[in-house]
Amino acid sequence: MNELLLALARWLDSHSLSTQLHESFYMYNWVESTHVLTLMLFLGMLIIIDLRMLGWIFPTVPASHIAERLDKPMLIGMAIMFITGFALYYAIPERTTQSIWFRIKVVLLIAASINAILFRARMRDSSASWDTDLKPPNNIRFAAAASLTLWAGVVITGRTIAYDWFDCHKELPAFMYWAAGCVDQLAASRGVE
Amino acid sequence: METLPFFEWLDTSLLASIAKSNGGVFAVVQMFHLLGMAMLGGMVLLGDLRLLGILMRDIPSATVIDNTHRWFGYGLALTLISGIFMASAVAMKLYYNEAFWAKMTGLGIGILFVYCVRRPLLSFEHSSINPWAMRCLAGTSMVLWFTVAASGRWIGFS
Repeated sequence: MNELLLALARWLDSHSLSTQLHESFYMYNWVESTHVLTLMLFLGMLIIIDLRMLGWIFPTVPASHIAERLDKPMLIGMAIMFITGFALYYAIPERTTQSIWFRIKVVLLIAASINAILFRARMRDSSASWDTDLKPPNNIRFAAAASLTLWAGVVITGRTIAYDWFDCHKELPAFMYWAAGCVDQLAASRGVE
Repeated sequence: METLPFFEWLDTSLLASIAKSNGGVFAVVQMFHLLGMAMLGGMVLLGDLRLLGILMRDIPSATVIDNTHRWFGYGLALTLISGIFMASAVAMKLYYNEAFWAKMTGLGIGILFVYCVRRPLLSFEHSSINPWAMRCLAGTSMVLWFTVAASGRWIGFS
């Protein structure tokens, strides 16, 4: 698996467009800034929906109203984040593939998405009974808290990709080499033993 | 006004020594800064897009403004507190950084705009306000906060 991901990353890295994007000061920084600033749209709308589900904002507006009205702007934000996020990965594929933070981020992203899909289904089925309640039922509030926590985790691990604390070139325990996908370093550390 | 002494003082303060000697703490605070930005920006966007008649048209704009304004304050507090801590770690770099001064100028104008213009104006009955004044208000607000966030991100690049 790690070998396969690394091979894919090295293949992307061999593209001249990847190198150009990485080496272009303005282009790379614009893409990266768009990615970060779109947090205000995507995460901003998401926070508002989740805060309503917790009963902390818009108490007089039905929860389903908030969720429906903010769905589209949130998804637009998500699309922009995906496109710019992929471009950022494409610009620096090898290091990102071998980043423990990026890997945790992808796992959290998947967990947050599953939570969101379940949350939507649950809301659709049951919102009629609590739509106008100031405080939605406990299972909805729990899902909202989980959503906020998971997405905060996605942002946090996204930010830490920039730090080199656990990069492959550092002296790390074998477990970390494995978890981060440092194929060569892992093989070397095994060779020494 | 000469601000260099302030930055020199901040650079050697207790806060700075905590921030400088603990890379992990700095990173954690930076995350709160980002989350605060998302909250602040989300509230600005929802409020202003409602004033422009783009989002939540079926919900009274006064309701949207009241609810988003409160959480805007929380987002602002979170970014300010985390921002001061982050600034202490790189105080001297910031003093000579143009993006930082652009951001601080924008931030100052933004805070004055919110608490001295936008909020007082919107405490009037919204239907009594000239629609174009509302749109200008919303546009100005979004441009201002976008500038603050964008120049903030650019500090790291310059």
